[in-house]
Amino acid sequence: MSPQTTVFLLAGNRLLREALSRILKTKSDISVAGTAPYSPQAIQQIAESNCQILLLDSVTSAASDFQFVRRVIEVVPGLKVIMIGMDENEEAFLSAVRAGVFGYVLKDASATDVVAAVRAVAQDEAVCPPRLCLSLFKLVCSDSTALPTLRIRYKLGLTRRQQQLVPLIAQGLTNKEIAMRLNLSEQTVKNHIHRMLQRVGADDRLAVVEMVREQGVFV
Amino acid sequence: MEKLIRVVVANQPRLMRELVLATISEQPDIEIVGEVQDEADIRRVVEEKKPDFLIIALDEPGERPRLCDSLLCQFPDMKILALAPERNSSVFYWASLDIHSNRVEASEEGILDALRGKAQFPRRYR
Repeated sequence: MSPQTTVFLLAGNRLLREALSRILKTKSDISVAGTAPYSPQAIQQIAESNCQILLLDSVTSAASDFQFVRRVIEVVPGLKVIMIGMDENEEAFLSAVRAGVFGYVLKDASATDVVAAVRAVAQDEAVCPPRLCLSLFKLVCSDSTALPTLRIRYKLGLTRRQQQLVPLIAQGLTNKEIAMRLNLSEQTVKNHIHRMLQRVGADDRLAVVEMVREQGVFV
Repeated sequence: MEKLIRVVVANQPRLMRELVLATISEQPDIEIVGEVQDEADIRRVVEEKKPDFLIIALDEPGERPRLCDSLLCQFPDMKILALAPERNSSVFYWASLDIHSNRVEASEEGILDALRGKAQFPRRYR
């Protein structure tokens, strides 16, 4: 018989806690180590429960801008966090991934999907909706275009994000296209470029590309 | 034999709807006569099934769900239980000359008590 996966359910909505834990308890391979609403003592409760997986609702995570997730993972080493009831929002998803979650389950998922996510994460898999998985691929891809950081930062004073923009500008992409590549808003890209021009004292965006090339970096 | 309490479950999102269904489907005195996945179908299903209770989502805290008024005008014998999935609250609406509402504990017990007419209503407001 395979060992049970122990789960702690942290959710503000009592009905969700009661009904979901009842469904989880009907599964022979899953045991519920505890349920609670968010409180300052929540991390201690989770740590003391010796759970392997934390199921966390969207309200708790969003309210703390995922700081709670970072903190609980820090305090409870080895804990795997699955977010449930989430919006299909790229920014929130990427923030959750950066915070260290293993699973991201949307609000239109079924209870069966939540159970499947618990089983998958228990087997060292990650769970995320395919459409959001694409944004993760795009992000990793855009990171790979980053320039040699130290030299450019030292010579031109460009931040890591500004350095990411240079090869994309060199490719002739518009702000909108760059925004899509980097999962940013168009306005954010515009602001980054504006600050970058000010920083290096360039008149236009292509001049920045030339200045980077003059540093011996091929873009 | 005592008459079963007839319920249509139409609340969103899907996970909460399934949890509500799981909560009430095991009750011997409650019958789920319909499940609505799309809010646009609520009126049709209510007309067809004539439930005692309709469970829907509470869109905004402190605001009566958009559908409530017209549904309760058309079906004054029906009661509506509106659940707020992201908050720990639910509200019970019914029509009696006017539309009334009261908060219900957002728990399995609270919802079952409301459906069975046992809910404690601490305060009444429109």
